[in-house]
Amino acid sequence: MTGRARLLCAGLLVCVCLLLAAAAWATETLTVNEAFTPDKLGAPTNLSVAAQFSSSTGAPPSPIAKLTLYAPAGLGVDARGTGTCDETTLRLRGPQACPATSRVGFGGGVGLIELPKEVIREPFTIDFFFAPREHGHLTLLAYASAIAPVAVEITVIAKEVPAPAPYGLGFSVEIPPISTLPGATLASVESAFASFGSPNVAYYETVHGKRRLVHLKGVVVPKTCPRGGFPTEGTIDFADGSTLTVNPTIPCPHG
Amino acid sequence: MRLTALRKPTRLTSLRTRLASGDPPLLRTRLCAFPLAFLLALGLCCAPAWGIASSTTATITPTLLPDRLGAEGALQLVIRYSTDESAVPLPVRSTVLRFPIGLGVEIPHLRSCSPTRLRNHGPSACPTQSLLGHGHATAEAHVGSEIVSEGIDLTLFVGPFHNLQPTFEILGQGYSPFDERVVLSGTVRPDNPPYGEDLVLSIPPIATLPLEPDASIVSMSLTVGTAKPRHPITVNTIIVPPNCPLGGFPFAAEFTYADGSTGSALASALCP
Repeated sequence: MTGRARLLCAGLLVCVCLLLAAAAWATETLTVNEAFTPDKLGAPTNLSVAAQFSSSTGAPPSPIAKLTLYAPAGLGVDARGTGTCDETTLRLRGPQACPATSRVGFGGGVGLIELPKEVIREPFTIDFFFAPREHGHLTLLAYASAIAPVAVEITVIAKEVPAPAPYGLGFSVEIPPISTLPGATLASVESAFASFGSPNVAYYETVHGKRRLVHLKGVVVPKTCPRGGFPTEGTIDFADGSTLTVNPTIPCPHG
Repeated sequence: MRLTALRKPTRLTSLRTRLASGDPPLLRTRLCAFPLAFLLALGLCCAPAWGIASSTTATITPTLLPDRLGAEGALQLVIRYSTDESAVPLPVRSTVLRFPIGLGVEIPHLRSCSPTRLRNHGPSACPTQSLLGHGHATAEAHVGSEIVSEGIDLTLFVGPFHNLQPTFEILGQGYSPFDERVVLSGTVRPDNPPYGEDLVLSIPPIATLPLEPDASIVSMSLTVGTAKPRHPITVNTIIVPPNCPLGGFPFAAEFTYADGSTGSALASALCP
């Protein structure tokens, strides 16, 4: 797999991971929807993933401790023209301090905070960035932020890991315990979504005093689609020691 | 909407007669208030008027150049949207703009540009005689934790006639972070005094990323016509009404936002 492809896959994996993170509610039902927009083989695209937990008991799922995601083989990421953001800058100064060209994607969802007599649902957002490579491996940063009723800001690092067939790239991210209010459980996730890449992203750069527009391909749909669709996989390790593995499939493009 | 031939103002019915009789369309035409309507359509919004009152408000600042009754020149319209509930105002979905009686556009050579051509090939594919004005807008959208902002170039053209009614097309072209085009189309209908005609404008969603909200226009500035002397007489200009009512030239707008809420706005341009 090329470096670009790895970057693309990495982005996808991170998205999927976050979504899968929501799947931490292992004892209940998890619905995952993934899509390419536009949906055309070999074309620049956006990868979107949405995950929703539903529970019959009403009890929040265990917090997520680790996510491991695998993207389909052939998925590409053309990172020409992109920048990077380092973890310290993102953690201390926030997403605004990162170069616009280092953005990989965006997302969000609803978190859960369990108090003795109630469960608080709190929306959160996620920003994804390219980070400098580590030992030649692709690295992504995810910045999760919630404002009210509990202000939370965490930065996690998603590192590239080997991917078994039929996947092309793997990513793994460890999520620290997120404490919120005195007497409350650690924060968990009810739903999450992520959106990576776009077919029409462009940035200005100045070369020899002249400003020019540079288009980024970003995420590129694989050139071929396996029968049954593009396979992905996510494994969620929960704080209570349980594990959940899901295998969402992205449908092949029509026509 | 009033459409007049040469320098003698005429009702739109005059144009209908010409077309029905096989006469060539007007070589020198006045398209009253259309461009203004477009400008306003992009941005006017405001105090609640009907339906569910919107949380988004807007201010409009029209400027006529030169500041002289009956003069040929330009209209600059600046519109700013704001909201108390979030950092990004609601997207506008449809707008009805009302323009003062007598406000018009001098079009020496009537040509039009189709929205399809404009969307597929950009402004350079349109006849230069169909160009009515230029402007700039700023769009914003919440994505992730950030508010992403994008500058948009606006270009206004005369559109094809629809049921013998003139139309206008506004091309919005953004470049970074999203290289995207959007075309707004508007039709005209008559109104009651103190307004001359209305422009009914449908504004498509400005998509950002899947699963993320559409972008909103937060400000725009559009200049229709030109205040510069015309040599040769080929460019389109605004015609300032020959009479100014007490209180100034009246403008009004009604808006429907993406959440279904509505609003309206009143504004006036000072008399010369």
